[in-house]
Amino acid sequence: MSDATVTAKRQGPSWLILPGIVWMALFMVVPIAMICYVSFWTQTTFNISSTPTLASWKQFFASDTYTGALWTTVRIWLIVLATTFIIGYPTALFVGLFVKSKTLSTVLLVICVIPFWTSFLIRVLAWRPMLGKEGAINIILQKLHIISQPIEVLLFTELSVIIGMSQIYCVFMVGPIAFMLGRIDRNIIEAARDLGAGFGRIFWKIIFPLSLPGVVVGAIFVSVMVLGEFATSGALSGRKVNLLGNIIVTQVGSLKWAMASVTGVILTVVMGMVIAAFLRIVDLKREL
Amino acid sequence: MESRVLKPMLAVYVVAFILFLYGPFFVLGILSFQEGPDGGPQFPITEWSTYWYRQIFGLTPPSRIAPLPVGEALIRSLILAFMTMVTSTVLGVMSAQAFRRKFRGSGFVFYLIVLGMMVPGVLTGLGTSLLANNVFDITRHWYTTAFATHVAYTFPFAFLVMLAILNRFDGSVEEAAWSLGVSPWKTFRKVTFPLIFPGVLSAMLFAFTLSFDEFPRSLFAAGGSEDQTLPLAIYGTFSVEIHPNIFAFGVLTTLFSFALLSVYGILMGLSVRRARKLAMQEEIA
Repeated sequence: MSDATVTAKRQGPSWLILPGIVWMALFMVVPIAMICYVSFWTQTTFNISSTPTLASWKQFFASDTYTGALWTTVRIWLIVLATTFIIGYPTALFVGLFVKSKTLSTVLLVICVIPFWTSFLIRVLAWRPMLGKEGAINIILQKLHIISQPIEVLLFTELSVIIGMSQIYCVFMVGPIAFMLGRIDRNIIEAARDLGAGFGRIFWKIIFPLSLPGVVVGAIFVSVMVLGEFATSGALSGRKVNLLGNIIVTQVGSLKWAMASVTGVILTVVMGMVIAAFLRIVDLKREL
Repeated sequence: MESRVLKPMLAVYVVAFILFLYGPFFVLGILSFQEGPDGGPQFPITEWSTYWYRQIFGLTPPSRIAPLPVGEALIRSLILAFMTMVTSTVLGVMSAQAFRRKFRGSGFVFYLIVLGMMVPGVLTGLGTSLLANNVFDITRHWYTTAFATHVAYTFPFAFLVMLAILNRFDGSVEEAAWSLGVSPWKTFRKVTFPLIFPGVLSAMLFAFTLSFDEFPRSLFAAGGSEDQTLPLAIYGTFSVEIHPNIFAFGVLTTLFSFALLSVYGILMGLSVRRARKLAMQEEIA
């Protein structure tokens, strides 16, 4: 057998990629194209027809409920992005840089991942007995005589949504950042210290810049998930906080498919802009 | 590094972080032992009991609180997760195998596949149900439309896992088989597949757990029909009053996940040990 045939065989025939392409095209690209198309359809009370119109788009931007949902989504996304970063970075710093033993850092990462094997919805629901007026936090704070009256803003507010999302998504920050920190060459840090740099200087000049790709990957994970959320906001805000996802769910529930599609297109656009912006900060292909 | 001050501080912080991650679970676990059927989903515990666990298994007399409709939903979810697991692992292995050769447009195809794990389930779910309703005029079910969107979500994970495995794969063993005249398909079955099996197991685990817990895609793509999956059944209890039975159920599903994880760990350990044994035999020979 000649070398050429061996190499050709080795890499496997390229038709093997076809089923994957077809599946993704049919069940991801076409559905999203369909959302864009239907957003221009005409909505009647219980039905839609394919007569093109801008009515749903005009209705979206004329209504405070819908534009309000857009701004709430952006606001909650930014806040949760910040909280997951602030909560997650020190943990990642410890796991990725300070823990010398490989076993311990693996154990810590596994501990962080274990909660993901509980149903997402139950993880969300678990915050209710935690935050409620007679919830665990209020009881503990009252027992410790820190507060005399239960704090009521903890549950069914925007705050509870932010707390819940921060807990559910912060691990997605920890993982990528810890990974990047673990790859830093310890000799660079040693060298900087030998040259008399303090920890603050080493952190800002070496550690943080080198961990930035991890921060971006984590931020992409968190953003993608928070922007598409509706269950956490629904369950922990008592339907007071409406994200774009919640609008889509309620519109579909009342068979307003055209409005749901308009919201879907806007969500897609926001998501695309966010991901593009992150990829602009750090060139992932070069870093990974 | 100012290890003496900073490291203990960070260690304390990490402990607090883990408490933050696990706090709600402890509360959930405690409240699942609330007295039933009159105890509410909050403190204080009026009386410790296993009522809600017994209720899930249908061992309690009927009361005003209906048991969770989880029996059939659980079976549906398991079947759906299994179907999704098999399909996305097969697709993942095939695609990653194709990616061992550079082909035209491979960069584009890579992003097309990886996008599947990025697009929110609300969007693919909505789009699929629009297509089902308005173009194909078919009823949405968990085993048709929801299955398709589940695979479009889990296949990218399987693909990435297999890509990572095949990148480190030593192709010379395959070449040896081919030069001895073994057919490509037989080579794949007898040589390649056993070697990449640990990766296949990881891909399967990813696909199964992601699909089993997948909610937004199911909500749209299987919504409206009577035959719910498990996450849909749980979501159904959100809108009405919450009872501790959902907490008990949460504890049970967590235990189930651990069982699944242990099976995966055992299989992984066995296959690693077998590989090591084979390598040792080779060395002796």
